[in-house]
Amino acid sequence: MNQHKDLLPQRLRPLESLIQEWRWIDKGRAVMLDVKRDKLVEVARILYKEIGAFFKTCAGVDERPLWGGFAVYHIFGIDEEGLDVVIYVKIPEKDHPWVPSIVREVPAADWCELEFRDMLGIDPRGRLTQRLVLPDDWPEDVKPLRKDVPYGYRPPRAEESRPVEAGMYPSGVPVGPYHPALHEPEYFELYVEGEEVVDVRYRGFHVHRGIEKLAESPRFDYNKVTFLAERICGICGFVHSCAYVMAVERAGKVEVPERAEYIRALLLEVERLHSHLLWLGVAAHLLGYDAGFMHAWRVREKTMILAEYLTGSRKTYGMNLVGGVRKDITPEKVPKILRVLEEVAEGTKKVADMIVSVPQVRKRLEGTGVLRRGDAAALSVVGPVARASGLNRDIRKDYPYLAYKDVSFMVPVYSEGDNLSRTLVRVEEVFESVEIIKQLLDRMPPGDILNEEWDIEPGKYAVTSVEAPRGEDTHFLITGVGRPYRWRVRAPTYANIPALRPMLRGQELADAPITIASIDPCFSCTDRMLVIDVRTGKRSVLVTRPKVRVVSLG
Amino acid sequence: MRVRPPKALRKSIWVFHLNTGSCNACDIEILDVLTPFMDAERFGVKLVASPRHADVALLTGPITRETLPKVVNALKAMPRPRLVLAIGACAVGGGIWHDSYSVIGGFPRLKKILEENGVIIDRVVYVPGCPARPEAIIYGLAVLIGLLKKKVKKEVKEAGKGEG
Repeated sequence: MNQHKDLLPQRLRPLESLIQEWRWIDKGRAVMLDVKRDKLVEVARILYKEIGAFFKTCAGVDERPLWGGFAVYHIFGIDEEGLDVVIYVKIPEKDHPWVPSIVREVPAADWCELEFRDMLGIDPRGRLTQRLVLPDDWPEDVKPLRKDVPYGYRPPRAEESRPVEAGMYPSGVPVGPYHPALHEPEYFELYVEGEEVVDVRYRGFHVHRGIEKLAESPRFDYNKVTFLAERICGICGFVHSCAYVMAVERAGKVEVPERAEYIRALLLEVERLHSHLLWLGVAAHLLGYDAGFMHAWRVREKTMILAEYLTGSRKTYGMNLVGGVRKDITPEKVPKILRVLEEVAEGTKKVADMIVSVPQVRKRLEGTGVLRRGDAAALSVVGPVARASGLNRDIRKDYPYLAYKDVSFMVPVYSEGDNLSRTLVRVEEVFESVEIIKQLLDRMPPGDILNEEWDIEPGKYAVTSVEAPRGEDTHFLITGVGRPYRWRVRAPTYANIPALRPMLRGQELADAPITIASIDPCFSCTDRMLVIDVRTGKRSVLVTRPKVRVVSLG
Repeated sequence: MRVRPPKALRKSIWVFHLNTGSCNACDIEILDVLTPFMDAERFGVKLVASPRHADVALLTGPITRETLPKVVNALKAMPRPRLVLAIGACAVGGGIWHDSYSVIGGFPRLKKILEENGVIIDRVVYVPGCPARPEAIIYGLAVLIGLLKKKVKKEVKEAGKGEG
């Protein structure tokens, strides 16, 4: 893609007069543009609206120990070219750093701007701000991600947390933080008019554990962070550890044996099998069809046993290290793997046919929670949610990584955008994953599995994207001495939650749980850092209506 | 005063799943315990939706600062005897996050906070593991309600003494 090393890629030419300098980073997979603060909004607008880049995430960094100021990195991706674009903005102020907000031009940047405001105290100017990530009783002046704040500093707890602010509507249905439909502590407030949901508010970040700060602490080094990354999420943890090690390997130019790349890809697919079957079961459970739940989990158990057979652990595999993997998949394991895959494929087919053919289940999935293609594109949604709304996006195809360039597989795409299409996308992906694993086993090259000879230079960058079961997982890494200087994680649910709003509006209240679940939310991924208020539309007309009432979701 | 779990509890235990900021791995293993392969429901274990109906709280996660007040409220809502099964490395001692700024760090520290608030925990059993295995969770539950005896004895080793 980068034949002309000295020339700015064709697609980025319109930006040439607005940027100060540019360079290739990440082994030629990404371009870094140095942009002055006053030009940032213009550059972001052209990139997002005219060039058509996808917004991935942004990261604030405390660079005072390096040159005396702060910095903000905005990361975009151009899917067609497989090219990442990083905008680098320097902030010279030491005390009250600020950057212009790009939210008006790039709505997807909403959360991550609030996140660097919370974590580093960099003020995004020109927008409404509020606390997003940190708990309510956290003192204003302590910014955990600043380098001068120790990672274990726990400010005293306040006796009372802030009172819950009154919403715009007289009645809301609270869902959470502990609710039978959620397996994680999150809080949704659904505003209803009769049985119809008119708006939704989300207060998350209950599971913020300070992972990004921990990775910079002296307790960790490059290899140990791999295990920390795996514990971001217990369902798609291997995705995170893969994205992290790939970032380190690319930034530090570490050679990885090809066999290790095959083993990683294989385990990523095993993880996708278990995650999609888990989701299918939970979806059936939320529809009140517990027989489907039990059957799906019965089939899923086989994939857990397979994972244990391959890695020694049912979850949190602990397989990755910088430079390769820790355990080989020996030829004598292959027959058993193939046998389990057959059983899983057969079982999934039966269970999925059964679940989808129950008329009550089908009726509740069909036509509910519709996300139209236009909304999906505007919100930059990822993964099965995007594919069920007619967007053909799959990181495995668009930005090939690991061994995915060597296997052939289909990307199921549906155009209806309802809960049924999201279900079918996942079911079909199970079969695709089974095929991918078979191909990987067939083509796995011999050789080493781990390269332990590496030395990583500080101050290098990498952006990696991995297709998690829930969508695109992006990691951004700046190398430091002995451990990452800054490591930023953007989980797929982070990109998909804003899509819940168009999906839930105008819905029957009874369909809300399955709709929320249909994005396969994984809050522990999303919350590793950051409260969100998704109301933006003016719906104040509802306030005066007497017929609004609270309905229990039971 | 602590209350002994009554004998009647051994037949049918209702559990409430209390996620205090865990990564989901222990949580899906809990669901795994209840689904056909492990099928703890045959022992009368039933997952309930409200802490007010629960005999045992299945506590996972390192208790984040944000969830702390909600966890205290949920445990307060449980009837006595109040039994807790702390599942996974995080719930046992904070796990990999034990000294991070945004967590309390494990059930023993939560227990102190609960006692300050006048909430008494009658019995707690710790199930280590990252994530805890389904078999271990079933075993822990059996020990908690008194169906099985603990296999290991309490042993305190001081640093710098003994073998090693």
